[in-house]
Amino acid sequence: MSRIGVFVCHCGENIARTVDVEKVAAEAARLPGVAYATDYKYMCSDPGQNLLKNAVAEHRLDGIVVAACSPRMHEKTFRNAAKSAGLNPFLCEMANIREHCSWVHEDRDEATAKASDIVAMMVARVKKDKRLVPITVPVTKRALVIGGGIAGIQAALDIADAGHQVVLVEREPSIGGHMAQLSETFPTLDCSQCIMTPKMVDAANHPNITLHTYSEIESVDGYIGNFQITVRKKARSVIEEKCTGCGVCSAKCPQKKIPNAFDKNLGTRPAIYVPFPQAVPNTPVIDRANCTWFKTGKCGVCQKVCGPGAIDYEQEDRLIVEPVGAIVVATGFELYSITEKPKGSPIKGYGEFGHGTIPDVIDGLTFERLASASGPTGGKILRPSDGREPKQVVFVQCVGSRAREKGISYCSKICCMYTAKHTMLYKHKVHDGQAYVFFMDARTPGKSYDEFWRRAIEEEEAVYIRGMVSRLYQKGDKIVVMGSDVHVGVQVEIEADLVVLATAVQPRAGADTLAQKLGISYDSYHFYSEAHAKLKPVECATAGIYLAGACQGPKDIPDTVSQASAAAAKVMTLFAKDELEREPIVAKVNEKNCVACLYCKKVCPYGAVEEKEIRDRQGNLIRVVAYVNPGVCGGCGTCQASCPSKSVELDGYTDEQIMAMIEAL
Amino acid sequence: MTPAKKLLSYSYYPGCSLHASAKEYDESTRGLFKALGIGLKEVPDWLCCGATPAHNVDELLSLSLCAKNLSLAEGVEGDLAVACAACFSRLKVTQHHLADNETKRKQVEYAIAGAVNLQKPVKHLLEILAKDFGLDRLTEAVQKPLSGLKVACYYGCLLTRPPEVPELDCVEAPTIMERVIGAVGAETVRWSHRMECCGANFTLSRPGVVLKLSGSILDSAKAAGADCLMVACPLCHGNLDIRQKEIEEATGERFGMPVFYMTQLLALAVGVAPGKLGFDSMIVNPLPLLKEKGLV
Repeated sequence: MSRIGVFVCHCGENIARTVDVEKVAAEAARLPGVAYATDYKYMCSDPGQNLLKNAVAEHRLDGIVVAACSPRMHEKTFRNAAKSAGLNPFLCEMANIREHCSWVHEDRDEATAKASDIVAMMVARVKKDKRLVPITVPVTKRALVIGGGIAGIQAALDIADAGHQVVLVEREPSIGGHMAQLSETFPTLDCSQCIMTPKMVDAANHPNITLHTYSEIESVDGYIGNFQITVRKKARSVIEEKCTGCGVCSAKCPQKKIPNAFDKNLGTRPAIYVPFPQAVPNTPVIDRANCTWFKTGKCGVCQKVCGPGAIDYEQEDRLIVEPVGAIVVATGFELYSITEKPKGSPIKGYGEFGHGTIPDVIDGLTFERLASASGPTGGKILRPSDGREPKQVVFVQCVGSRAREKGISYCSKICCMYTAKHTMLYKHKVHDGQAYVFFMDARTPGKSYDEFWRRAIEEEEAVYIRGMVSRLYQKGDKIVVMGSDVHVGVQVEIEADLVVLATAVQPRAGADTLAQKLGISYDSYHFYSEAHAKLKPVECATAGIYLAGACQGPKDIPDTVSQASAAAAKVMTLFAKDELEREPIVAKVNEKNCVACLYCKKVCPYGAVEEKEIRDRQGNLIRVVAYVNPGVCGGCGTCQASCPSKSVELDGYTDEQIMAMIEAL
Repeated sequence: MTPAKKLLSYSYYPGCSLHASAKEYDESTRGLFKALGIGLKEVPDWLCCGATPAHNVDELLSLSLCAKNLSLAEGVEGDLAVACAACFSRLKVTQHHLADNETKRKQVEYAIAGAVNLQKPVKHLLEILAKDFGLDRLTEAVQKPLSGLKVACYYGCLLTRPPEVPELDCVEAPTIMERVIGAVGAETVRWSHRMECCGANFTLSRPGVVLKLSGSILDSAKAAGADCLMVACPLCHGNLDIRQKEIEEATGERFGMPVFYMTQLLALAVGVAPGKLGFDSMIVNPLPLLKEKGLV
């Protein structure tokens, strides 16, 4: 006869409000095989855990059911407590009476009855639990960082400085990301390039960092500690090892009029180019879609003028396999565009703002390029349409953000601060100009942030109008901004020379595809999901993968850098051990019954099933069976559900246990 | 062998205005459809859709009026063709609201003492011409192309709104009017006030508001180089046409801009006799413009 202990948690009021916990404990005590049952206000607290440990010794318990929250929350806590009480930790199970019961029900009697049922099921399961021993796997102490913006660079530098190898993969020809495009940064107005470019150089020169620019993640295999990453190095048409970065090719390229995406298409570049003068690496790339040689087979000027002979028109994409133990995802963001969206898309464009057809209606990043000393106008604020200096500039906040009717309900977090900054930069450059800002709320939590916003109004004389803009239209060479001032209760019309829209921060296009390759989860907007909103903000639910920067949600530079260093610290923690303990909840094949139909191999999402040959002592092949590699198995149980001969079972979730749970109902 | 052309036929809900102040909209609609060989059969015994006043005062009344009309329309074959932008909007809104609200639906069924029927597609004339009939066929039917006539297409508030109701076209930047009138050879201008409010019912209670709002619409159309305005709403028509002289007096600016119903221009292009299109009931006389362009 088993001696099971049942511990029912109040979770403060979270469970006790809806579930009569004392009654649940009393009913549990009457279940066959239960030697002890009690309830306590906070089981996860130190006194709660001691209660559990003492009861194990006092009542000689050989199994534990903690009726409390989800196992995702505290299974580890209670298994550790069981372990320190001398019990095999896998003989301790959670009965989830919070998320599955008290939080979702209102009727106290019904909820109490359901909680008792859940406890009875888990008692039945624990009785058939086996003592399991954790699996150990080796750790490859190399990290992959995806994305070479400030988040990726910071994470890569931190890990590399700790003495570990880092592979840094960037999609664009240069690292630097959005921060390299910014002019000055809030709240101190220091030049973005001045603080960013040294870090870019550090990353490129670091002996522990291998840099793959103009590269993308092709595929991801393996699991925590043992990932195999295939990186697609796109054909640059320039041999990186030979190129000296002299720039003669770009200077001589006859194609000069290609819009430069780095400058938000305000400036132009040649077909062989580096995106900006401070690019790292300073190795050009040929834009094959616009290159005369690739279009017509004639030209070849760059090849003729290149001293070191670095131009290679025949270059092809290369696939490089990198073994790594941990991954930091730092793919960043892009700005929402007001252009027309495909019919049926949940995200809508802004027809009332002209769907992006008015040339002097620009977004915040375009304004950054206009204000940047390295930008297409050399830092002068000039209108894209006619190059004139705008004397009245209207800034519109929350375009796309906090607009459920347009498909995005979240706040983009950075716009209040950067718009305040824009009004200042504008005033510093156009002294007789006037900046207006339409805003819903000014959200400025952060050190020295509110002071910064006040400064924009009080010292730099920006006029803040609380209200929304209903429409923008071109009238002559002006843009009429129609909006409301809700403080005064009137409609406002401003004839502006330039309108700057603080458009929403969205995840990079293709964020979902990358997430599917990595096996990490994302929300409906395609922002990556952290494992726990408060307590695991940089970890993914998938072990060994960490998040940094705006790919997880809108973030400013200080938050991004903090998160990147946090992710790096998590990677270093993982790399501090030579071997990694994994939960032994894995599938095992009963080789006696297995007929090697290998249906399990077809359905396994982790690729953990292999064929195993059974031979006699003379080495003659007797038969083939399925074998589950415990290092790769993710413990999902799909094989168990699909096996026609019931020959494969997940430890802790055997058919016998599941049936016992059903019978306990 | 070309496939036989489908014979189109519709039930028709004209609405109150088209039997009164907007007679020319009704006449030209019938003329146009006849010329194009599209059947149009008026729903017998129809009642007012409730327009803007009903739904501001009593939602149940507004829904019931439209539901009654929809059930009357069941008796006539063909999708329901609607000309007036307000009637169109109200009928669509009713279908939308009652489709997923069991409580309201029961109330309405009690009020109209009959079943609510929401199946019949409600279609604006623009939709019929652009989608069912087709722009290519419309171009083929042209006898007198409107080339040289610069038209400012004016949508007003209701044609594409409210946005949650299945839309006729993009809510904020529609193009369906431009596409339809462009198909008969007219030139359309790009202008800023296509979707602005004309002042609507304030024409009775606070005409000053209408003079300002409709004034800026006329101003903007003129600045874009338009010869005339084209509308699909009798109330907009009233404000822009009947009040135009007052607006001119108030602003001191002369517009002299004829305001056509879309069907007047389309019917003219497909060869309906100008005498049957009600040009004489327009306040701003369109004949000098039409003569200048060689269209009458």
